[in-house]
Amino acid sequence: MLNRLWDVARRFTGSLLGMLKMRSVEYLEAELRELENVFALLVLGSFIGLPSPPLPISLRLLPHLGRELLVATRISERLDDMLGEMAGLFEIS
Amino acid sequence: MFRFVAFAGKGGVGKTTLSAAYALERSRRGDKVLVVSLDPAHNLGDVFERKLSEEPTPIETNLYAIEVDYDAMLRRSLKKLSEKIKDMYGYLRVFNLDKYIDVLQHSPGIEEHAVLETMLDVIRRNEAEWGFNIVVFDTPPTGLTLRIMALPSLSLLWVEKLMELRLAILARRRAVERVLGTKPRVSLGGREVSLATEPRGDPVYAELLKIREEYSFVDRLLKDPQRFSVVMVVNPEALPVLEASRAAGFLSKLGIRIGAVIVNKVLKLPQEDASRRLYEQKRALELLHKFFDRYPIVEVPYLDEEPRGLDRLVKLSRFLEEITEGCTLWSS
Repeated sequence: MLNRLWDVARRFTGSLLGMLKMRSVEYLEAELRELENVFALLVLGSFIGLPSPPLPISLRLLPHLGRELLVATRISERLDDMLGEMAGLFEIS
Repeated sequence: MFRFVAFAGKGGVGKTTLSAAYALERSRRGDKVLVVSLDPAHNLGDVFERKLSEEPTPIETNLYAIEVDYDAMLRRSLKKLSEKIKDMYGYLRVFNLDKYIDVLQHSPGIEEHAVLETMLDVIRRNEAEWGFNIVVFDTPPTGLTLRIMALPSLSLLWVEKLMELRLAILARRRAVERVLGTKPRVSLGGREVSLATEPRGDPVYAELLKIREEYSFVDRLLKDPQRFSVVMVVNPEALPVLEASRAAGFLSKLGIRIGAVIVNKVLKLPQEDASRRLYEQKRALELLHKFFDRYPIVEVPYLDEEPRGLDRLVKLSRFLEEITEGCTLWSS
């Protein structure tokens, strides 16, 4: 009996910790995406009229910014509903 | 250790002629001198009455000259940049690169980058092969020259900020890796790629470090008063003097040494021929002495013959004695 209770408690704690882990990673990943988006905008913003570094710096970094370009493109697609995006992240309904 | 000097000023003030005369005089005093024309509107070959190329052409013993092919210089600079992008072309497929590279040569910032790269190329080749002890740069008109001089400092500011941001990104990726137990991954061009979490393994950070090293080298060189200085060339008129004072202020803020100021084409007429022109010249010279009292000022009169060819350049160079003696342009 005690063994069964211990087993249930262990599995419940494991699931709870797993859920908390996923939640904390979601926030971290959201923050990471925003930082990567800002990096892409800073480096390549001249192509859309933003102040940016001297062009040779942007061109030298461009080949390595595949991930950042993807993030920036995806975020720009969702820009018309950032409030919904944040609400989804924090599970506000 | 070789030294270099840039002759700067508005278009048409006489930078090319004076840089040629200075170089000629220094070479006749025993220095091995190279003059490099970076001005897109080249006149250096006309002044020396020689056909010049992108390799050092002998003018006389100890004196050589180069005229940089501007279009070729821009194409070379872009080619170097585009080669790196093309290496990754199959991976990114972001732009139609060939057409894009053609358009890039007209982009803001490319011209000053290309000229700065050319100056560095001359400096490196001089250290490695040529062995001139003085290199004289005849620069483009003031606006472009100031942007060229500011490029290393400005680039370093940007690089430092980008490195800060990049380290923040890598720290977040490490945090995600610690929680999940694996490196974050992304699908790019149909391949699963593992993202770097440490500065050591991050190609973006590595590139930023390389860029910082390159620009730091140039920045140190331009700000070394024992090796580099700028000679401002003006005409005795208010507008060039005002522009030169602003340019000198800008260069001083960057930490670049002004070695001397040359006032070229000063009218020397008898007092009885005094005219409005002379009066305006006198006012311009007073303004000049007010702005540049800290620097050696050399006055070069309006010569009765156009200073073309070596014999006439020698006559012109006699007025530059104050700066051709010793190493007055640089600090000791």
